Amino acid sequence: MYKFEKSFYSKTSMYSFGVVLILFFSMWVSTSKFVHIDMALLGYAISSAIFAIGLTIRMSFWMWRKATNRVAKRSVNNLFNKERLKRNSKAIVITFIDNIVLQKFIFQRSLYRGIQHFMISWGCIISFGITFGLTFGWMRFDLIDPETYQIIVFNVPTMKMAAHGLFAEIVYNGLNIGAIMVLIGAAMALYRRITNYDVKVTQRFEFDILPLLILLAVTVTGLILTVLYTFLDGWMHHYMSLIHQVTVIVMLVYFPFGKLFHVPIRPLATAVPMSYQEVVKVDTKACKSCGQPYSNEDQIADVQAILKSQNFDLQLSDGTYLSDYCTGCRRRMRAMKQMNLEAPKGNPYGPVSTNNGIHISGFSKKRSEDFYGIDQDSKEETENEPVSR
Amino acid sequence: MNKIMYLEFERCIGCRACQAACRECGDHDAKERNYVEYVDFTESRQTFPMLCMQCKDPACARVCPANAIQITEEGVVLSAMEEKCIGCRNCTFGCPFGIPKFDFETNKMYKCDMCYDRTRHDIAPMCASVCPSDAIRFIDFDEMQQLRRKRTQMNLVEGKKPQEGNKWDYVPEFFGVYTDSQS
Repeated sequence: MYKFEKSFYSKTSMYSFGVVLILFFSMWVSTSKFVHIDMALLGYAISSAIFAIGLTIRMSFWMWRKATNRVAKRSVNNLFNKERLKRNSKAIVITFIDNIVLQKFIFQRSLYRGIQHFMISWGCIISFGITFGLTFGWMRFDLIDPETYQIIVFNVPTMKMAAHGLFAEIVYNGLNIGAIMVLIGAAMALYRRITNYDVKVTQRFEFDILPLLILLAVTVTGLILTVLYTFLDGWMHHYMSLIHQVTVIVMLVYFPFGKLFHVPIRPLATAVPMSYQEVVKVDTKACKSCGQPYSNEDQIADVQAILKSQNFDLQLSDGTYLSDYCTGCRRRMRAMKQMNLEAPKGNPYGPVSTNNGIHISGFSKKRSEDFYGIDQDSKEETENEPVSR
Repeated sequence: MNKIMYLEFERCIGCRACQAACRECGDHDAKERNYVEYVDFTESRQTFPMLCMQCKDPACARVCPANAIQITEEGVVLSAMEEKCIGCRNCTFGCPFGIPKFDFETNKMYKCDMCYDRTRHDIAPMCASVCPSDAIRFIDFDEMQQLRRKRTQMNLVEGKKPQEGNKWDYVPEFFGVYTDSQS
């Protein structure tokens, strides 16, 4: 295995090679040795392969990060732990339904944003599913008799449907339905991005608005295509289909490198109920100083390991780490350190002395400058500042 | 731009005007992101304000498994990107100063961003602009240096000498945003 890995430029290129190989093999299987391949979709197929490579590269680099790696590793270990079967399945099902199917947390942010995101995400999932299914030949329709179509998935004949039935119409218009959903959602999102002053604080054109414009370009050209062949007898259809193809390729190539990359990282959210906080807002680990529960053992162990692997020295003199204390205690520790109010040495949990002996002439205690006799000195120093700061 | 956020904990009178102002800031969604807390309530009524240090190499961003915490070109550490944050709260445990806050309902972390839309244009952040006792100040780098020097001198006059081990106890904390442009 090591030798095989060394024959590649990097691990990432090895993974990319594997992904492309799997894609090619799946095409080979599902189009029964490329007999049923749809040559009209070749451009889409190639750009989808580039999309897969880009996604693999980004995922590999993301997984290589110390924090991601640690969290993902613990989750994978927990996933195959038989004692945790109940907790795992519950976590996966609940996260899948709440975060991906219903997207509850976005609806909590506001109803407008919820609807907007729901439209975009489900429109995209439908469209991507159909596009990839057709371009890689994973799914195709065979006419078995003049009135009946059969859906063939991975070269395995599955269900049959009447050629003009309701279900068939839904399947034929799947891309149109997805496109309309994305159109509504992306238009809502663009309107919000342009008018809302709050989002303007941190938004960047190339990161937040460009993906919306790309999505809009894809959906609008795709819908124009439908209008052209249904109402205008295919007038300009050929040119429009090329333009649509270009927009789709731009989107697929852009996908792994821009804002849309948040989609493949979302499944990591299962790690939270699976390995960290099982029930929302219920903590199990107590703070070392105040005794209030603020976290759980596994998570603090992970945080400490991640910080240690990146050379953060956050260990205190008594051997504890700053992450062993709750956030409130950590803030207080910093303020006491700054004000020189720390507890006497030897008993870090003992009572503190708030009189540190340092007096500052605050706003209520102003003394005249000649009391200190440093007026002249400070004037001299402002003219030739010391080099070291 | 060469402005510094300058905190003097001792000057805090606990009025919480900074928190009220923080709630009003753009993109803060009516939730305060700074803290005013008692040092030790049983000992005295001394409070202290606490803001994000805007670290150069932030621990919160380093422990984030989703890579959601970004730093702007001015050096401001922003809240977790809403689309990436998976809600694990690693940042709140990783931060050595206990700054990031977490909202369970909307499943996202939010933290002091130094009122990015204001400080980006050299306007004082909300908290600094309302603080009545100058515990939080948004001042020039040179002014900060002068204040630090004065404070050290004052301690020397009062007979306390900083030594190698504790010299930092004699200067208040400063942090802020640096850029190279000197215009």
